[in-house]
Amino acid sequence: MNVSSPAFTEFRHSLANLAGNPQETGMSDDERLARARSTFIAKLNRRTAVDMETCIHCGMCAEACHFYIATEDERYTPAYKIDPLRRFYRREVSPLRLLYRPITRKMDLDELKEWSELVYEACTGCGRCDMMCPMGINISEGINIMREGLAAAGLVPDELNALQAEQRQSNSLFGVGAAELKAVAAELAQHGTMLPLDKESADILVLTTAVEVRLFPEAIAACAKVMEKSGADWTISTEAFEASNLGLITGDKTALRAAFKRVSAKAKEIGAATVIVPESGHAYQALRWESANALGEELAFEVLAISEYIARTIKAGSLKLKPATEIKSVTYHDPCRLGRQGGVFDEPREALQAMGLDLRETASNRRENLCCGGGCGEYAISHGAPIRQKAFELKKHELDDTQADAVVTGCNNCRINLMIGAEETGWDMPVVSLVETVASNLAE
Amino acid sequence: MTLLDFARGPALQWSLIILVTGIIWRIVGALLLSSRKDLSVARRKSGLNDGLGAIATRSLPAHTFEKRIRFQHVTGYAWHLALFVTVLFFGPHILFFESLLGFSWPALPNGIVLFSAAVALAILIALLIRRANHPVQKLISNADDYISVILCILPLLTGILAFAHIGGRYETLLAIHLLSIEALFIWFPFGKLMHSAMTFPARFQAGTSFGRKGIKA
Ligand code: SF4
Ligand code: SF4
Repeated sequence: MNVSSPAFTEFRHSLANLAGNPQETGMSDDERLARARSTFIAKLNRRTAVDMETCIHCGMCAEACHFYIATEDERYTPAYKIDPLRRFYRREVSPLRLLYRPITRKMDLDELKEWSELVYEACTGCGRCDMMCPMGINISEGINIMREGLAAAGLVPDELNALQAEQRQSNSLFGVGAAELKAVAAELAQHGTMLPLDKESADILVLTTAVEVRLFPEAIAACAKVMEKSGADWTISTEAFEASNLGLITGDKTALRAAFKRVSAKAKEIGAATVIVPESGHAYQALRWESANALGEELAFEVLAISEYIARTIKAGSLKLKPATEIKSVTYHDPCRLGRQGGVFDEPREALQAMGLDLRETASNRRENLCCGGGCGEYAISHGAPIRQKAFELKKHELDDTQADAVVTGCNNCRINLMIGAEETGWDMPVVSLVETVASNLAE
Repeated sequence: MTLLDFARGPALQWSLIILVTGIIWRIVGALLLSSRKDLSVARRKSGLNDGLGAIATRSLPAHTFEKRIRFQHVTGYAWHLALFVTVLFFGPHILFFESLLGFSWPALPNGIVLFSAAVALAILIALLIRRANHPVQKLISNADDYISVILCILPLLTGILAFAHIGGRYETLLAIHLLSIEALFIWFPFGKLMHSAMTFPARFQAGTSFGRKGIKA
């Protein structure tokens, strides 16, 4: 897949059209505000309270945020993005609320509307600011709460709303449902890769994403090759294949739970002990770290990112790789939600090294890695394009400085955003997927 | 009752009562809020090590982001350090602590203490000016940010004046110095100065919550 392929052009068109059908919420202003308030109250617990109490307004977090670094627009300061939440906390929840009330203003809807731009368009939830804050404040969690409050108030950007409505109403995304997955499976079968769809029982349930079905079927084929080669008993379910969870992105908890339930029920039904998340950072963070809490119970299965599975089977000796020949040197882009928010740093690197690749780290990497600028639904929001492009330029510089032959990443959304950036700027470093690289270098 | 008697007597007592009650109220109030068990399966067990690790490492100046925040880091360290030296190692301060605690420790020469007080004062003034002018800080600052800095500046300023006998009778200068500290005590629990206590639980929880995901906070 490259930027000149018709599928990519068509995908970009569909992104541009997402905002075309705004969803009406039918809520009155008072209702919106009440829903945002009750969401904030429900989410402000001991942990967030400690964070809200501790900010010293030093502004250092701005220096970690790619949107601030790239634009120097002070409104993109992470602490500012959660300012309404902090003020709400002080006035309504904090131990000193009775003192603050007479001297502070009530939260209003205009303020929330204003912040919608800051928390959706100007934040990818990458968590880099969390690593910078000298007080140890989890700012990205505050931004998640802001998103939840805004989602409850019906203030999600139209593009994300459209995607979420599609997932809720027809269990599909970007027009990809069971039929489209089956069509891709038939096409892959013609090229010799069989997808074991809808097995009644399997040890491993493998997920994919609509984006892979539409744009990167090679990634699905690569995943199949890896699973087969490692001798796994696995399946993909046409009823519950979607790993993406718009609920995590928009902050809509009902949507979040519904998507988790589908996967969790299917895993139980087929007796899968493991669920594998494809190359999607937010899907990993959602299923691995958020789902049990959203469902209110521990998961009955283990969640692995495909890169974790690859590293594990390499170690166990069931997956053998040969030295890569097409490319010699690579740099690895840590997807924020797989790495900094998910804890998967070593496994992709181990896989790359198992293919004898010369791994060149970017100046910032692992927990300090710079975001590609397009995560967390950001690349779908058309209004955010200018700042996203600026943030991409920062990333591009770091990648170029490595002088590697290609950049490997473990997230489709990073891949798309880097490809969009490449198309806009004529950048020519190949952007490749980890699982595809692994699948092309399986030892016989 | 002279101004000095007032400053040494009821003003000191009441400001200490407000300081201690306020701190306890605010910490306990935040920690009493509900908390939920994380139901996701931890990548590794996290606990004391991660928590204390985050407390220690968030205080270390050298990290990847350093070059973008050097000014704030250096001034931040310098002013806190200079403040500690001034508060804890000035002879008359030690006598005061001894009267409260019943034990004492050696003082540093006055010249060194005066120098550190001047450094702390100069940095605070610079930081105040920066706050009012730097676009990021200007945008995110509220009254608390300014009041807190000014209330830290005043004891340093009045202390130096009292030490140097500039601007009035020594007793009056001393009384003003004490009153400025008491104003700081009274304000302390209500504003951001509380970070000096809250930073420990905040960093600790960052350490453990990232730690259970296998990430060094
Ligand atoms: S770095 Fe932390 S303490 Fe400083 S302004 Fe940002 S959130 Fe607040
Ligand atoms: S999470 Fe990332 S994008 Fe969002 S404010 Fe923090 S650094 Fe910026």
